[in-house]
Amino acid sequence: MSGIEPYMVSNGATLLLLAGVGFAVRIVRRNRLWREAAASLWRRRRLALCVLAVYFVIALLDSVAWKGGVPEHAVGVLPNAPHSIVDRFFLDTTEASYSAPFAAVEFYGDRPLRHPGAHPLGTDIIGRDVLYMALKGARVALLIGGLTSLIAIPLALMFGVGAGYFGGRFDDFVFFLISTLASMPGLLLLIALIMAMGRGTVSVCVALGVTSWVGFCRLSRAETLKLRELDFVRAARVLGVSEPRIIFRHILPNLAHLIVITFVLMFSGLVLSEAVLSWLGIGVDGSWGQMIDGARDELSREPIVWWNIAAAGTALFTLILAVNTVGDSIRDVLDPRTQGDAP
Amino acid sequence: MRSASFARLVLGGLAGLAALVMGCGNDPYPPSDATARVLYGSFVDAPKSLDPAVAYSQREHAITGAVYDTLLEYHFLKRPLELIPGLAAALPEVTDLGGGRSRWRFELRPDLLFHDDPCFTLSAPEARTRRITSADFAFSLARIADPKVGSPVIEPFSNIEDFQAFGERLAARRASDPEFAALPVHAQYRLVGPIAGVATPADSILEITLARPYPQIKYWFAMEFSAPVPWEAIAYYDGEQGRPRFDDHPVGSGPFQLTRYDKRAIFVLEKSANWYGVRHPEWRAPGAVYPSEGEERDRAAGRLESAGRPLPMIERIEMRREKEDIPRFNKFMQGYYDNSGIAAENFDTVIREGALSPEMEALGIALDKEVSPTIFFLGFNMDDPVVGRGRDAAARKRNRLLRQAMSLAIDGEEFLRIFLNGRGVPAQSPIPPNIYGYDPDYRNPFRTPDLERARVLRAAAGYRGGVDPATGEALRLTFDSYNTTTAGLIQHQYYTNAWKKLGLDVRIEAVTYNQFQDKLRNGAHQVFEFGWGADYPDPENFLFLFWSAMRNSASGGPNYANFADDRFDALFLEMKVMENGPARMAKIREMIAILEDERPWIELMVREDYLLRHGWLANVKPSGLSIPTYQYLDIDVERRAELRVAWNEPIVWPLYVLSAGAVLVVIPGVLTYLKERQ
Repeated sequence: MSGIEPYMVSNGATLLLLAGVGFAVRIVRRNRLWREAAASLWRRRRLALCVLAVYFVIALLDSVAWKGGVPEHAVGVLPNAPHSIVDRFFLDTTEASYSAPFAAVEFYGDRPLRHPGAHPLGTDIIGRDVLYMALKGARVALLIGGLTSLIAIPLALMFGVGAGYFGGRFDDFVFFLISTLASMPGLLLLIALIMAMGRGTVSVCVALGVTSWVGFCRLSRAETLKLRELDFVRAARVLGVSEPRIIFRHILPNLAHLIVITFVLMFSGLVLSEAVLSWLGIGVDGSWGQMIDGARDELSREPIVWWNIAAAGTALFTLILAVNTVGDSIRDVLDPRTQGDAP
Repeated sequence: MRSASFARLVLGGLAGLAALVMGCGNDPYPPSDATARVLYGSFVDAPKSLDPAVAYSQREHAITGAVYDTLLEYHFLKRPLELIPGLAAALPEVTDLGGGRSRWRFELRPDLLFHDDPCFTLSAPEARTRRITSADFAFSLARIADPKVGSPVIEPFSNIEDFQAFGERLAARRASDPEFAALPVHAQYRLVGPIAGVATPADSILEITLARPYPQIKYWFAMEFSAPVPWEAIAYYDGEQGRPRFDDHPVGSGPFQLTRYDKRAIFVLEKSANWYGVRHPEWRAPGAVYPSEGEERDRAAGRLESAGRPLPMIERIEMRREKEDIPRFNKFMQGYYDNSGIAAENFDTVIREGALSPEMEALGIALDKEVSPTIFFLGFNMDDPVVGRGRDAAARKRNRLLRQAMSLAIDGEEFLRIFLNGRGVPAQSPIPPNIYGYDPDYRNPFRTPDLERARVLRAAAGYRGGVDPATGEALRLTFDSYNTTTAGLIQHQYYTNAWKKLGLDVRIEAVTYNQFQDKLRNGAHQVFEFGWGADYPDPENFLFLFWSAMRNSASGGPNYANFADDRFDALFLEMKVMENGPARMAKIREMIAILEDERPWIELMVREDYLLRHGWLANVKPSGLSIPTYQYLDIDVERRAELRVAWNEPIVWPLYVLSAGAVLVVIPGVLTYLKERQ
């Protein structure tokens, strides 16, 4: 098989991400302000950070895949297909249909399971291990939150900083653009974009990105308007420093705390937005939103099937809670206006 | 003093609120309708078109079937289904004209009227309706032939002499003569000349001449496509000057008239005073009187108790749109809908061991079960190089073995158990139960799941371990579907997981219905999911789905698998014109044997419809066909009103508890606040 396959791209992206994390750690360690902020954050939100680290590690384990090494007798496993580390823990674990957590028989009909007692969170209607699906959802959630933020934040910065710094017609244009976008029903625009681009993770991320940059654009524009009048920016201009350099050297670093805070707070909103899209049938395959959508009518079954929705709901809730908690603390730590308010 | 008066005010307000709540109920209908003979039901999907020449789905037939009456109709109780006269005074006389041609002569009942409608002012200024003549049937048939109408049933009617040529003449004249194209359609039809095979020698006589043998034509005269349509309605309802379009405003001659239509919310049908059964009960016409003959199970179910009563027995039908299963079912349980299907989620509450649960029986709810002549299948695109017929003998054999292996991996019985609570029959051939040619003892050797045998066949096809030798990877196929919901995706994953057990990598491509249709048209599909419901109770209506003339890629017909086999075609053309009997059965068996080996379909299941109804609703008997039978229904309105009240008694004690809590919490707080202010 020739050419670059999706799993290779995923492996490459994971390596890049790890390198990026290493780079960020290095920057934090070398900069006193960031180092103190990180230490303060760790002191305040140890548990939430540990939870995020667990999700991150699960997502990484699900992002690294390779071919081969699959037992020949494994049923329902494509031998030559790439399998991630998470996949490899759950090879050949499917049952025929529903089974409750740690059950030895099927939930409806009492047929014996192929792997009795081996499903801590039970199985779904087509016998897939719910723990496996919940773990797989972590990668999707982080991908949506991360990739969409990487689309939305640069977009917002490009327009916001540009409008704030240059003003004039460009500012008028950006303001017209964000006012127009803000006056469109967000959900309808999202649905229209996804229908136009087709379903898929990238389409959903692009659509979410395109519809969620407006708020941060306003914020960065306002902040830039303030920054460009400050002495150090004026001085740079008087000294003949080029405008791109002023933006990259003096404006953007002073927006760094806003970028970090927005990234974290936007992240949780985006993960929840995907759940809403899944509810509407246009979400991302393998997401917790899709698990919740698939399980919504199971609550009215008799006897009730609760483990699907409970697993997806708990995984989603825990991630959002951890992200929001950490986000609030980051704001407390980095935003000079809240310095001293925090405990 | 001030605080005491405030407390009195609060207490008075709460008492007033309690009194108001006591008087409230949850009944969504006006009190005046409590004892009216109204059928209340629900629908899920909004109808697309109510034009009888176009409407071809159950959601549309739920309205058009009641509004439009047909020359023939089906006996309500007899099974197998039997045709009886409707607007025709008797079943048609058939004359053999030789050379395969035949003449079908229908005599219309006298004094048939259309529903009252303003459109008839086009023919006479004061007219509210007019008499139906054979010319109205000829006009309806011309509309089917008219390419501009876009009727999906041109093919079966093309057996009528000159039918297709009429459509071609019409299209050519419209293209060449703009003045002609601007005329109203009835004038265009008149100028292009009648269809030679449709004659109206008298107002009450309609003669149809078939160019070739096609005995199934009689069933098409029991469907709304051929129902009489007034030319005035087509001319009047053009969507201009605030008038609706004809496909949203049907004008027919059936037992019910559409009086309210909001396709996204509600439709209301009311008994038509112009229907021949209402105007002439003395005729005792078979389609206008409740039948006195039926099956033994009808007697046991009390369905013969209404024998001899004039139809329709209900005055009005109100259908409300309910998109979600659970609210629909809850309203049924409250008595606000008279009947309901059963959502998979409620199944275990409602059904125990194939019968109603004791709790449901105690409520007087009844269950009607009927195997529907609708088959669901997974198809292969036979034009595809990997799963299709193949270009040479080697490819033909390899692809056939692959299809056979994939067929053996899908367990129809397990599918039914998991997704439909076992409601249905695993399909063994394309012919479902209740259709001539169905053999309950037939077992398709490729429809009994056998993974080991499937692996042997897959290996014989050249895909050892599921690996495609051309790529060294698992053989990659696509599964195309138009169901993009999460529930649909889970069903698709059921199939793809089954094929994964053979080492095949089948990827799901769920797209919108229009995109799916495009894929079918362009032959861009590989493996797909589809269903087919009977139009009429004849095996031809299922086996024509494999006739090469119906190939979707070639003719746009419903042979979506694009199956083509000379031997099958020859057998089909012979079987099509035969009367039911051993010779026809032998042909059908031979055709099924070809399909069994070739596997253009993986027959999945035939669904069994479970219909719940309240005890007050009588005479429910599903036909399996897309034909509403509202006129036969009867309702014990007093019993319904009584039980609705009993089942929806407001539970007010939580309000009292809350009110008491409010008194205990709010008043002392307010009193303290006022005291402190003083």
